Amino acid sequence: MHGYFWFVGKRLLQLLAVIFCGISATFFITHLSPIDPVEQVLGRLSARSNLSPEAIAATRAALTEMYGTGQPILTQYLNFWTRLLRGDLGPSLLAFPTPSMELVTRAMPWTLGLLVTSTLFTFVIGNLLGALAGYHPENRFFQAFGLIAMGVQPIPYYIVAFILLIIFGFLWPVLPISGGFAMDVRPAMSWQFIFSILQHSILPALSLVLVGFGGWFLGMRALVSNVVNEDYVTYAGLAGVKKQTIVGGYVIRNALVPQLTALAMALGGVFSGTVITEQVFNYPGIGSLLIDGVNYGDYSLVLAVSTVSITAVALAIFIVDLLHPLLDPRVRTE
Amino acid sequence: MDRRSFMLGTAAGALLLSAKGLAFAQEAAGTAPDLASFPRNETLIIHNPEGVIRNPAWFNNWVVGSGSGISNGLHQLNTDTFWFIDPDAGIEGASENAIYNSLADGLWEYNEDFTEMTVKLKKGIFWSDGVEFTADDVVFTVEKHKATPGLSQNGAYNAQVETVEAVDPYTVHFTLKGSNSRFHTLFSVRWTGAWIMPKHVFEGVEDILSFPNDPPVSLGPYTLHSFDPNGTWYIWQKREDWQRTALGMIGEPKPRFIIYRNNISADNRLIEMRNGNLDMVHDLSPEATFSIVQQDPEVQGWFPGFPYAHPDPTLVMAIPNHQNPKFQDKRVRWALALMLDARAMSMASYRGAATLSAISVPPTGTHPRDYHAPLQDFLINYEVDTGTRKVKPYDPNIGMQIADMVRGQFGDAVPTDATAIRNAFGYGWWKQDVAAAEELLTAAGFSKQGNQWMMPDGQPFAFRVMVPTDGVINRLGSIIAQTWAQNGIGAEVEAASDTWDRQRVGNYDVNIAWAVESWGGHPDLSFFLDSYHSEYVVEPGASQPDRNWMRWKDPRLDEIIEKIRASDFNDPKGIEYGHEFVKLHLEEMPNIPIMAYNVFSVQSNRYWTGWPNAEKPYANPVTNWSNGRYIFTQITPKA
Repeated sequence: MHGYFWFVGKRLLQLLAVIFCGISATFFITHLSPIDPVEQVLGRLSARSNLSPEAIAATRAALTEMYGTGQPILTQYLNFWTRLLRGDLGPSLLAFPTPSMELVTRAMPWTLGLLVTSTLFTFVIGNLLGALAGYHPENRFFQAFGLIAMGVQPIPYYIVAFILLIIFGFLWPVLPISGGFAMDVRPAMSWQFIFSILQHSILPALSLVLVGFGGWFLGMRALVSNVVNEDYVTYAGLAGVKKQTIVGGYVIRNALVPQLTALAMALGGVFSGTVITEQVFNYPGIGSLLIDGVNYGDYSLVLAVSTVSITAVALAIFIVDLLHPLLDPRVRTE
Repeated sequence: MDRRSFMLGTAAGALLLSAKGLAFAQEAAGTAPDLASFPRNETLIIHNPEGVIRNPAWFNNWVVGSGSGISNGLHQLNTDTFWFIDPDAGIEGASENAIYNSLADGLWEYNEDFTEMTVKLKKGIFWSDGVEFTADDVVFTVEKHKATPGLSQNGAYNAQVETVEAVDPYTVHFTLKGSNSRFHTLFSVRWTGAWIMPKHVFEGVEDILSFPNDPPVSLGPYTLHSFDPNGTWYIWQKREDWQRTALGMIGEPKPRFIIYRNNISADNRLIEMRNGNLDMVHDLSPEATFSIVQQDPEVQGWFPGFPYAHPDPTLVMAIPNHQNPKFQDKRVRWALALMLDARAMSMASYRGAATLSAISVPPTGTHPRDYHAPLQDFLINYEVDTGTRKVKPYDPNIGMQIADMVRGQFGDAVPTDATAIRNAFGYGWWKQDVAAAEELLTAAGFSKQGNQWMMPDGQPFAFRVMVPTDGVINRLGSIIAQTWAQNGIGAEVEAASDTWDRQRVGNYDVNIAWAVESWGGHPDLSFFLDSYHSEYVVEPGASQPDRNWMRWKDPRLDEIIEKIRASDFNDPKGIEYGHEFVKLHLEEMPNIPIMAYNVFSVQSNRYWTGWPNAEKPYANPVTNWSNGRYIFTQITPKA
């Protein structure tokens, strides 16, 4: 038990180091960006209006003061960590003075709802069918699945999403193609609201499932193909262990370990959002928020999204590290 | 509990938690509208080109960079100021010289040396909460802005206004910090303008920079009905007392409800219009426009046939950086112009649907009447001395040639009438004359080694052409660089996501962008030209005030600008000065004007008719312009 706590302690230190380095790197990368948020605001303000050069200069000075972008970068870095430790990521510069975390928390439930659901669904279906296809390589039904998976996998995501858009939005317009819920539904804990969300998420989720399914399927099939030839599986068969027990308890369980690690990584990555899905289906979420932050030079917003994402990925890996010894006795021994 | 029950229970719980989280995150939502209460003969649905509005519940658009929506109806339906200048002709009878008196009861009144301006206000205009609009609102707006850095006009008012006073409830008097014959343009809407604040709402607000102004009190004929907490749609409802607004005094806006929808991808816009869910679309790609007008007879563009697009009063050009020694000789700049092929640029950027301009005035609105047509003879006879001979580079028939090129694909949709072709494709452009260009380069001390032009210092003549990462400007810059490269110049395309920042500090060689924007419906050129004065040109690396991105300096240019400054906005001599500017520009070719920034705005006649178009150019149909509000008084529901 002492060894396990030592193991956890080491991983915890690594977790903190990864989070610190990741956030620091993001801070410096965003601040090295040539995009100046003050100039972005000025561009939007002056592009179509009749501001004199003097007025633009005065506005530039006022904004630089308000945003604090004129300070030395190290001062900004220290201020950032001081604020972050208090749980404050500062005001968004593209929606000043709204706190950037407010924008993140507004967008995050959409991303989590869509991506977690579609990732888990794809994981379960892809791995289940992949395992069966690996265990029954001669089965034509599973062979057909393999062909479909290999056929869909290389199609660029945008094309799949666009085809769905054309089919269900134009040729047979039965599903909504824009937004997170209908205009005439009030956001509340009501079945009407839940139904509307589900209805609007069908096309985005379907596009993600179609494209994501193949990877899990093919990966699991390959893993199972190897595991079924292991000595302990052959031995279990010779010993008369039930086929269902061999498939579930011996083959899938062992093949699933690397897939679970990949799942943890995929779930961690959910926090970065999915930009193309949001663009194609005008779906709310964290991906387009991050893109807006980058395009407008909004350091605070990019840092807020990145902080959440870095922390989530690091935590996911940390949890997998902790679970590995529990799932796989070989790791425990090591 | 068995495993299946556990899994089902967990899934149901997750669904409820997710819904609760979403509901919690959307708490700022207004009352949800009942769509059944928006009959299409009373409801107009407009595409707003803004992305997701990140601060959806923020309606204090006087705060700079607040993340609020602007063209979500807020600046079309809710705000107002003294005057509007239409980018097209304006409604006959309601505007003069494309100028509308909005809150003002007449035009601006300056004293003799333009150091004071008096504005008479209309009587009988009321805010939507029943408070009368008076001169006190104007005085409050100006003084509040002057005292508050972070408000949109803080810099403008501080730089220009000494004092402002309400002479009486309907008269405002400005004392300026210096002579300024164009001070009124601050309150003249071209896309947007300096909007007036409701004093009775804002005077009690302690920190105006953090005040969301939700719901906004309206000075326009509509009030906010409801909006999306995720920032993708806004619904506005006509006021019962719409007659007590400046727009209402011109005519009744017909739609009872106007819905602005934003963050709609290009593909979805097309589908939504075909499905009857959009009446006005801000822009489509050229290809999408050609497709939808062919497939849906209810859909129209600005021109009845090809090229369909509305030419914005914005002129796209190749802008060489004058602070780069490579581009300081006008012979080099002219050589670059004469190497280009207008037909190739038009086809590559707009699939032929470009409106060309050889002069530095957009070929849009009333400018063809005031500039392009009267200058045709001058252009036809204009000579360029190549150093070995004189050439007449202008080709007045390039528009016709492009029309012939696209006729094969678009057939009868392409006009055949010469006037219609000029309006749609432009009056003409420079002939591609590589021989003359090479003579100009040679005269400038350049030499050719193999197929590579060398500068007088023996270095290869090579540079980068900066373009945005996508869109028609990207396509245009690519063909320009390719043409120059084919003719021995080491031009390479540089696609950048930060073109705006870089052109400000002069961090580019050649920039494909616009350095010219004009009022469109009015001949005055000060909108862009005033900032061309040499007093504003800064050192390399410093931030250059808008529009003179090339950093062109010329005492003759300063003289023209100073003459415009000393004359009234409506002085007919303004056109004369404009012609002087065009001629000086031709002599120096500081940048290479190419074409109007055409916007493929389309409207559907399925539910509403009476849209503006090239034959009835009473307003700009591009939906994000505040000026578009006048359209709502002219359209009618389809019977």
